[in-house]
Amino acid sequence: MTGFEVRVNGRTHDDAPRPGQCLRTYLRGHGWFGVKKGCDAGDCGACTVHVDGTPVHSCLYPALRADGKQVTTVEGLATDGELHPVQEQFLAAQGFQCGFCTAGFLITAAALDDEGRADLPRALKGNLCRCTGYRAIEDAITGVKHVEEPADGEAVGRNLGAPAGPQVVTGTARYTFDVDVPGLLHIKLVRSPHAHARITGIDTAAALAVPGVRVVLTHEDAPQRLYSSAQHEIVEDDPCDTRVFDDVVRHVGQRVAAVVGETEAAAEAGARLVRVDYEVLPAVTDAHAAMRPGAPVVHDKDPVEARIARPADNVLAELHDEFGDFAAGLAEADAVYRGTFRTPRAQHAALETHGALAWFDAETGRLTVRTSTQTPFLTRRSLCALFDLPESDLRVVAGRVGGGFGGKQEMLVEDVVVLAALRLREPVKLELTRSEQFSGSTTRHPFTVEVEVGAKADGTLTALRVHVVSDTGAYGNHGPGVLFHSCGESIAAYRCPNKRTDAYAVYTHNVPSGAYRGYGLGQVIFAVESALDELAHRLGIDPLLLRERSAVRDGDPLTTASGAEEDLLIGSYGLDQCLDVVRAARAEPVGPVPGGWLVGDGAALSMIATAPPRGHFGEARLRLLADGTFELSVGTAEFGNGSTTVHRQLAASALGVATSRVSIRQSDTDLVRHDTGAFGSTGVVIAGTAVLRAAEAMVGALLGAAAERSGVDVSRCALVGRGVDCGGRVVPFSELAAGEPLTTTGHCDGTPRSVAFNVHWFRLAVDPGTGEVRVLRSVHAADAGQVLNPMQCRGQVEGGVAQGFGAAVAEHVDTGADGAVTTAAFRQYHVPTFADVPRTEVHFADVTDPLGPLGAKSMSESPFNPVAPAYANALRAATGVRFTDLPLTRDRVWLGLSRD
Amino acid sequence: MIPAPFDYTRPTTVEDAVTALRAGGAGAKVIAGGQSLVRMLQRRLVRPTLLVDVGCLSRMREVVEEPDHLVIGATTTQHELLHDARVRAHAPLLSLVARHVGDPAVRHRGTLGGSVAHADPAGDPPAAVLALDGEIIVEGPRGERVIPSAEFFVGPFRTALEPDELLVGVRVPKMGEGWTVHYEKFRLSAQKPTLLGVAVMVRRVGDCFTDAHIALANSGSTPVRATAVEVALVGADVTEEAVTKAADLLDGTMEPFARQGVSQAYLAHLARVLTRRAVVAALSW
Ligand SMILES: Cc1cc2nc3c(=O)[nH]c(=O)nc-3n(C[C@H](O)[C@H](O)[C@H](O)COP(=O)(O)OP(=O)(O)OC[C@H]3O[C@@H](n4cnc5c(N)ncnc54)[C@H](O)[C@@H]3O)c2cc1C
Ligand code: FES
Ligand code: FES
Repeated sequence: MTGFEVRVNGRTHDDAPRPGQCLRTYLRGHGWFGVKKGCDAGDCGACTVHVDGTPVHSCLYPALRADGKQVTTVEGLATDGELHPVQEQFLAAQGFQCGFCTAGFLITAAALDDEGRADLPRALKGNLCRCTGYRAIEDAITGVKHVEEPADGEAVGRNLGAPAGPQVVTGTARYTFDVDVPGLLHIKLVRSPHAHARITGIDTAAALAVPGVRVVLTHEDAPQRLYSSAQHEIVEDDPCDTRVFDDVVRHVGQRVAAVVGETEAAAEAGARLVRVDYEVLPAVTDAHAAMRPGAPVVHDKDPVEARIARPADNVLAELHDEFGDFAAGLAEADAVYRGTFRTPRAQHAALETHGALAWFDAETGRLTVRTSTQTPFLTRRSLCALFDLPESDLRVVAGRVGGGFGGKQEMLVEDVVVLAALRLREPVKLELTRSEQFSGSTTRHPFTVEVEVGAKADGTLTALRVHVVSDTGAYGNHGPGVLFHSCGESIAAYRCPNKRTDAYAVYTHNVPSGAYRGYGLGQVIFAVESALDELAHRLGIDPLLLRERSAVRDGDPLTTASGAEEDLLIGSYGLDQCLDVVRAARAEPVGPVPGGWLVGDGAALSMIATAPPRGHFGEARLRLLADGTFELSVGTAEFGNGSTTVHRQLAASALGVATSRVSIRQSDTDLVRHDTGAFGSTGVVIAGTAVLRAAEAMVGALLGAAAERSGVDVSRCALVGRGVDCGGRVVPFSELAAGEPLTTTGHCDGTPRSVAFNVHWFRLAVDPGTGEVRVLRSVHAADAGQVLNPMQCRGQVEGGVAQGFGAAVAEHVDTGADGAVTTAAFRQYHVPTFADVPRTEVHFADVTDPLGPLGAKSMSESPFNPVAPAYANALRAATGVRFTDLPLTRDRVWLGLSRD
Repeated sequence: MIPAPFDYTRPTTVEDAVTALRAGGAGAKVIAGGQSLVRMLQRRLVRPTLLVDVGCLSRMREVVEEPDHLVIGATTTQHELLHDARVRAHAPLLSLVARHVGDPAVRHRGTLGGSVAHADPAGDPPAAVLALDGEIIVEGPRGERVIPSAEFFVGPFRTALEPDELLVGVRVPKMGEGWTVHYEKFRLSAQKPTLLGVAVMVRRVGDCFTDAHIALANSGSTPVRATAVEVALVGADVTEEAVTKAADLLDGTMEPFARQGVSQAYLAHLARVLTRRAVVAALSW
């Protein structure tokens, strides 16, 4: 091809694309990193660009066709330094969280005509957002403003914008893969086609013969050492059952080998040519079957060494506890309900897939791993243990992370890039495709939950029992933790003298399950909340009343079937206020309903601990810079949840300065001491406390330094915006910075812990003809303690509700008889679009928590948990049918109705 | 994923395109909007050795008005179908159906010819073309041929097109007096492919149906006409009961290519309910 030329954002590129190259990779290859990959299949819109003014998915656009055209990416939307109006609007409304989808939305929005603006659900069908629930995006496009600029020192409680906002809307925020590392090699993985097999031979000759292929790494190159991909503060929380590459494969899609090539194409061509011989072994893909005698054993390992409860029975972990006397409680009951509930496998579907790069620093010889992770410090620890590296030789750093939802509390790629980097001493990269994300990363644990609950005629609970089977898949990462947590706050939320739990996390030859927003709670809450609702119907009591009578009250101990957890208490209580919100909403008249449709409403509540048990460490450091501004370093990662904004607010408020005078660095093992990371809803409560402590220490240090400098007694010194007033004379911070360097640190160990509450309520209309359901109203009341940033907290709630809504009505990862994932694309899996997600009214209880920073509680996982049961309860009210299996798709709703 | 390597040519006349296809033999493939093809290339579901880009063939981009017909060039995009005044006036069913295809970015690239040649049994435009009794105009080394839509779709992703033939346009009759149309599309959620689509054209004179064309998407291995319903409607009174009675004649034995995990009973039921609703909606068009 001769004479190829394309103008991109006013610049000309004239090197011809490779045959078959799509415009997306061509643009990124030329440094236009604002163009993102979410799927490479036309489904997500993250790659949208303008070609001659019309929006196209650049992943479906052959690059050759751009010859002679004008291409505009998000980087080209602004002209002469002036932001495009849609960029201004996305900033003003904060129409993003992680921001990975934002470039695509901006490009689509910039090209909307009046017809499109009048019908956003249809016009935005091609753009997915996993974080926001779309309300903030709608506000951005329609010009609603939320971001405020409060006076110095008054940032807490206000709608401060995210520090990275300007970079997000201009496409200059740097996510994991948005770096140009010279000489970068590319990794492609060979994956198992079998559910269970022993590898008897691997022939790499043909792959190595491909020009550009540098090495093929297999189990023979991998450390023998076993570990868990799960990342926890306490390593022993997870079993030791995983190898980088194993000689036994335990699920379809398991990593078998890595091919490293000079180009992605060479690596991919090589991966196709690796020949693996397998001795196929019997497999089991059903969790109940896996526990039966004679079932194929997934991990034939030593129980103590591997930390597996009963390997021969495929039981990874189990729980058998009783509080009070369940049988006696049941005998006392006037009504009993017993039901079995099922929740499917689900995918996090963060828009940025997993991936990492690794390179050596030429001068120091240190290895840097840049990765899309929630836990940089834990990942460093895991890598060092695995490869026998001293921690000082390894730096783990995250760029901006494009969504996590638990999926990135896992080491799924970093081990491979380090293995390859150590072998070749050259920079390497591994970026998963969307289909690998579905079939080779982790999912939400599928649960089967049997509930038995008894109550007196007035709704007082007498007995509550759950029997849980959780399918942990081929590996046990997060299996025990999810199981134990699932039977925690879900059971402790109710006052009932007699409680029993029997729970099993079971190995199968399925894709591994892992951490997922809610960490098991959502599955059991779906069952318990559905069961209580049904019990109320059977007793003829208002389901909301039954909850008010039986839910925990302020001052109650929090008891599960295993009794009370030592450091967990009701630090503050807003559940009553949340229930009042729902009661008020319910009393309002029903709006218009299509003729013949059935209408009903229902609610569910949930409780969650504000931090994980047994220690979670937050670490922050504050430094006064020469210009009198402050640099805040935090260890934890931000992946769209907005914790960075809150950290800056907390520091600025404590120091009495404008937020613009606090710059932030984060997610880098070189910055601070050990920090556990971003999971278990700890961004505000734990990392925020550490920040607050560093800031309070800084206040003391500033006052002390100023007193010394001015000779005025410290009691007469006070912070005033840009300096310290020392008895009338203001010593500016910049002057203090000239003296001894001022640095303070803050630390939080995450205990004791409080609880947060969420209540969701739906009013639904159901079309009995097709099973279609419309949400007439959706109301969410949250007890988040003091809300430090209402705009962001609302965004967290809406995002959680949207994800919970997806789980309630649409999402399911399907597997074939051999456990292979059959829904390995967005088109088959389906993440809710703008058109699918209802708008939710969000209310906050007025509560101050004595344990959290400035009275705050956590609010990141929890809004997800009550959504599915509230939906099922509303359906029950509308139709009289109790639906027990998620998701409640249209066909299932219709079947349920027609069976009745 | 990266497609297998291939050559690429961008002819400027239909003749050159046909010559290129012929020369490329079994390995040659047309690319129009690329909205289906590029995905298939990336996943290596197809591995052509030569791509013939028809994006520069001006003849295939035109909409030509004939006395009783509209000839719509194959590379007319779905966006254009939605906005072209002649299509809206004379073949409104195609505009309606285009509204339901993909998202704006897809509609800006995807073409009518591409949808028809792709012959996805769950595709929306093919059902509309079938309901319209459209004719597919094809150019090949042996000259032009015109294939009735009823003979064009032969199986899932299979058509009567020969490998060296180019689909150049679709001819549809102009909508006459008394006709009204509707396209009812049902999905399990907004971004899922069509679970069932019903394209309806009915003509009424006074209180009586005089004509009915109904085609279903994702009800078989090709788009299919609901002949029994059509027959029952013609001559029937324009009442909801008559429509329900006719729609209930759908026998429910359909075998969609992409079942999306739903039961036969649900599909059969949906077909009846949606056909009834589509006819009723067409009446109030
Ligand atoms: C995100 C997304 C959502 C979508 N949603 C829908 C939807 O809701 N409903 C729907 O119906 N479709 C949908 N599609 C498919 C879309 O409509 C495609 O545009 C269409 O199926 C193909 O048109 P195209 O011009 O892009 O053809 P291409 O992708 O270029 O080609 C498709 C096939 O047709 C052949 N072909 C194309 N033109 C000719 C020709 N002139 N002569 C001979 N052969 C030819 C090609 O060789 C190829 O085999 C969706 C696609 C995407 C990416
Ligand atoms: S990456 Fe192109 S649409 Fe998802
Ligand atoms: S903000 Fe939209 S995907 Fe994260």
